[in-house]
Amino acid sequence: MNAFQDILVFVVVAPGVIFALFGLLWLLDWVPSERLLSWITGVTFAACTSGVAALVWKITSASSITVTFGSWFAVGTYHFPLVLMVDRLSVPFVALAAVLSGLIGQFSATYLHRESGFLRFFLLLHLFAFGSLLAFAAGSFDLLAAGWEIVGITSVLLIGFFQRRPAPVENGLYVFGIYRACDIGLLVGIFAMHHWAGTASFGSAFPTLTGARAVIVCLLLLLAASGKAAQVPFSGWLPRAMEGPTPSSAIFYGAISIHAGAYLLLRAQPLLAQSVLASSLVILIGATTAIHGTIVGRASADAKTSLAYATLTQVGIVFIEIGFGWRWLAVAHILGNATVRTMQYLRAPSMLHDYHQMHSAVGGRLSPTGKQIEEMLPGRVQLWLYRWALDRGHLDTILERWVIAPLLQVSAYLSRQDRTCTPSPTTIRPGRAVQVSAAGPAQRSN
Amino acid sequence: MSVPGWVLRTSFFTSVSVAAPWLAAVVVIGYRRQARAVGCIAALLSAIASTVLVWKAPEGESLYETLMLLFSCLTFGAIVLLPRRDSEAGTIGGILVLLGSTLLAYSTGNLLVLLVAWILSIVPFLWAGWLRSRKWRPMVGLLSSSLAIALAIGFMVARTGVSSISHLKGQSPGGVVAFTLLIVAAIFRKGIIPAQAWVADAAESGPLVPTALLMNGHFGALLVVKLIVPLFPETDHLFPVLSYLAIATAVFVAIRALAENSPRRLLAFLALSQSACILSGLESRTAEGITGALVHWVVVTVSTVGLFGILRLLEVRFGENLSASKHLGLAEHAPRLAVSFAILGLALVGLPGTLGFCSQDLLIQGTLTTHPLTGLLLPIATAMNAVTFFRLFSRLFLGKRRTGFTVMADALPRERWILAGIVLFLVLGGLFPNATVIEHSSEVDVVDEAIRTFDNLNRGPSYNQGNQPVFYPVSPDTNRRMGHIVYRVAHGSDWARLGVA
Repeated sequence: MNAFQDILVFVVVAPGVIFALFGLLWLLDWVPSERLLSWITGVTFAACTSGVAALVWKITSASSITVTFGSWFAVGTYHFPLVLMVDRLSVPFVALAAVLSGLIGQFSATYLHRESGFLRFFLLLHLFAFGSLLAFAAGSFDLLAAGWEIVGITSVLLIGFFQRRPAPVENGLYVFGIYRACDIGLLVGIFAMHHWAGTASFGSAFPTLTGARAVIVCLLLLLAASGKAAQVPFSGWLPRAMEGPTPSSAIFYGAISIHAGAYLLLRAQPLLAQSVLASSLVILIGATTAIHGTIVGRASADAKTSLAYATLTQVGIVFIEIGFGWRWLAVAHILGNATVRTMQYLRAPSMLHDYHQMHSAVGGRLSPTGKQIEEMLPGRVQLWLYRWALDRGHLDTILERWVIAPLLQVSAYLSRQDRTCTPSPTTIRPGRAVQVSAAGPAQRSN
Repeated sequence: MSVPGWVLRTSFFTSVSVAAPWLAAVVVIGYRRQARAVGCIAALLSAIASTVLVWKAPEGESLYETLMLLFSCLTFGAIVLLPRRDSEAGTIGGILVLLGSTLLAYSTGNLLVLLVAWILSIVPFLWAGWLRSRKWRPMVGLLSSSLAIALAIGFMVARTGVSSISHLKGQSPGGVVAFTLLIVAAIFRKGIIPAQAWVADAAESGPLVPTALLMNGHFGALLVVKLIVPLFPETDHLFPVLSYLAIATAVFVAIRALAENSPRRLLAFLALSQSACILSGLESRTAEGITGALVHWVVVTVSTVGLFGILRLLEVRFGENLSASKHLGLAEHAPRLAVSFAILGLALVGLPGTLGFCSQDLLIQGTLTTHPLTGLLLPIATAMNAVTFFRLFSRLFLGKRRTGFTVMADALPRERWILAGIVLFLVLGGLFPNATVIEHSSEVDVVDEAIRTFDNLNRGPSYNQGNQPVFYPVSPDTNRRMGHIVYRVAHGSDWARLGVA
C-alpha cells in the first residue's frame, strides 16, 4: 500500500478503534475523565481531517484511491468485497464526515459537560463517524450497507440519549422501525445486483443492468434512500428525532445521516440513468418532500423542528437534482446545506440570546422580512393548510392507521388466541410495581 | 512413559465429552453440594475433549465437532451465569443431562443412539417437573416429536435391518412414511408452524436457562442435516415445503411478537423466528444459504443463551414480574447488563460488525436465489424482529428515572467475564468472519455437491432441467474434493460423514 492508501485506511478506521478501545475499557470498569475523552476525540478527528486534506489533494490528480483487502467473507460464487475507495464523488462526503464529527466533538465537550451520558455520547459519536466514513469510503454497495446500518443504529441510540424520559426512547423506537423497514430495500437491491450483474462494486466493475432489472434495483435503492433521507412518505420520523441532544441532531439530521440517502442515489446514478421511471419517481418524491417540508416547517413551533423541515426541503430539492442527473449540482447543494444547517442547529439552543444581542446591536427590534408567500392564498385554504401542517401532513397518522395498527391488531388477535389455549401464569396487572426494595429477595440471592 | 494408543483415538474423546456430563450429573444429584463447581468442571472437560475432536477432524468435516465444542462452551457459560437462586443440584443436574444428550446426538452415527439421545434430552423437563402442569403444549410438542422420531427410526430399522446412518445414506429407508415422520419430528421439536406455540410456553413456564439450552440444541435442524437431507435425496422436491413452513414460521412468529409484553415469551419468539431461518437456509441448496444457515445456527445459539441468561439475572434482581408494556429504566442500575443485552440482541438480528450480519447476508443471498418471492419474507421477518427486540430493550432498560432502591448489582465479575466472552465471540466473529464462514462453507460445498452428484448419477445429468445438463458453480477447493466423492458414490462405498458434514 502507498501512503495515501494508508491514510485512507487510517481515516476510516481510527474512530472505530477509539470506540472499541473505550468501550472495552468501560466494560472492564474504567471510565475516562471528560478532559481525556474530549482531548482524544479532538486529536483523532484532527488527524482524520489532516488525512482527508491529503486525500483531497491527491484526488485532484488521481481519479480515485482504492484499498483492496480481498473479501470479508466468501462462499461459493458469492463474496463480500472489502474494498475502500474514495473518488471525486465520495471525497467531499468523507471530508464532511471527518470535519463535522471533529467540530461536534469539540462543541459537545462543553455542551454536555457533566451530563450523565457524556461517555456514551462520545462513544456513539465515534461509532457514528466510523459508520459514516465506512459508508462514504466503501468500494461497493455491500460495504456501504454495513456503514449505513451502523449510522442507523447510532442515530437511534442518540435519539434516546436522554434515557430517563420515555418520549425520546419511544421516538427512537419509531425511527428504528422506519429505518429497518426501508433498509430491506437496500438489502434486497444489493442481492438483486449480485444475482443479475454478479457484482455490487463501484468504479469500473459497476453493475451493468438495463430494462426492468435496472428499474427494480433503482426502486429498491430509492426505498432505502427515502427512509434514510426522511422523504415523503417517511418524513414523520424527522421531528421525532429532534429528541436527541442538539449536537447529535446537528450532525445526523443537519449534515451527514440525512444526506446519506442522497449519496446512495448519487452512487446509483448510472443505474438511474437507465430508467426513466425510477428517475421520474426520484423527482416526484423530491418535489413532494420539498413542498411538504416547506409547508410543515412554517407551522412548526420549535427551532429544531423548523430547522429539520428546512433541511428536509433542501434534501427534497437535492433529490430533484439527482433525478434530473445534475450530479455535481447536487453534491455542491449537499455540502452547502450540510454546513449551514450544522451551524444553525448548534446555535439553536442560544437563538433567543442571539436575537437579544442583535436587537441590542441595532437598537430595537429587527424589521419584519416582508409578506409570507402563503398569505397570497385564500383564507380557507390557509386554514386548511395550517391544520394539515400542524399534523405534519397526516403522514404519521396514515402510517400508524394503515400499517402499524393493522399489524398490531393481527398480533393482538394471535396473542388472544394463544392465551385462550394456555392462560399465562404471569399476566402483568396494570399498576403493579416491579421494583423491589434494596433488601428484597434479589439482594439476598445474589 | 508412552501414551496408550486408545487414548489418542477419536472415539475416546467423543466418549469423554459425552460421558463427563452424565457422570457429573449423577454426582451432582447424589452429592447435592458444590453443584456449580462440578457442573463447570464437567462442561469444561467436554469442551476440552470437543476441542481435540475439532483439531483431529479432517479438513472440512468438523461440523458436528464444532457444534459439540460450541454447545459445551455455552453450557459452561450458562452454568457460570446461573444466579445463585437457580444453581441448585436439580437444575445443574438437568443441564448436565441435557449437555450429555445433545453431545451424544451430535456425535452419533447410529439411528438408535440418536433416538436415545433425543429422548434423554427432554427427560429433565418431564421428570423434574420443570414445565408446570398448566403448560400442556410444551409436553405435547416434546412428546410428539419424540414419538414421531421413534416411529420413523423404528420403521427404518425394521425395513432395512440396519441402524448405521452411514449405511443408509441415499437409500430412502422407510420411504415416504419414514420421511414424513421425520419431518413431523423436526417440525414439533423445532417449533415450526403449526407446532410453534410450545416454545414460548416452555420459556415462560420453565426454568429460563435450561429451556434456552434445550431450544438451542437445535435438534430439529440436526435432524434435517443428519438424516433427512442425506438419507432421502430423492424426496428433494418435498424440501421446499419445509422451507415454506420455516419462512411462514419466521414471519408468523415475528408478527405474533409485536404485541407481546412478557419478556420471556418475547425472547422465545425472537429466538424461534430467527432460528426458523436456519431451516430455510438449509433447504435453499445454495452454498450461500447453507453456509448462512450453519453460521446463523451458531449466532442464534450463542446470542439467545446470553439473552435468556441476562433476562434471568434481571428477574432475580428486579423481580420476576418484568414487562415490556412500560418503561422500567433498568440500565441506570445495570448498564453493563444493558449493553451486553443490546449487543447480543442486535447481533441476533444482523447488526454490522457482528457475526449475525454475515449470517443474515448469506441467508438472504441463498434464500432469495432459490425462492425469490418467499425469500423476500426473510428480511421482512428479520426487520420485524429487530423492532421487537429494540422495543424489549428500550422498555426494560430505558425510559424511566428509577428511584426506590439505593444499591443494585450490575453484572457480577463472573457474569461479566462470561458476557464479555460471548460479546467478543460475536464481535470478533463478525469482524473476522472467514474463520467461521470458510469452515462451514467447505463442509457445505462438499455435501451439497455430493447430493447433487448422487442425483445426477442415479437419474442422469438432465433429469431435472428437461434436456439441459445442470452445472453448479463450485469453489476450487470443492473441485479438489469432488473427485473422492464421485468415486465413493459411484462405487457404492461408504458415505460416512457426508451428511451435510
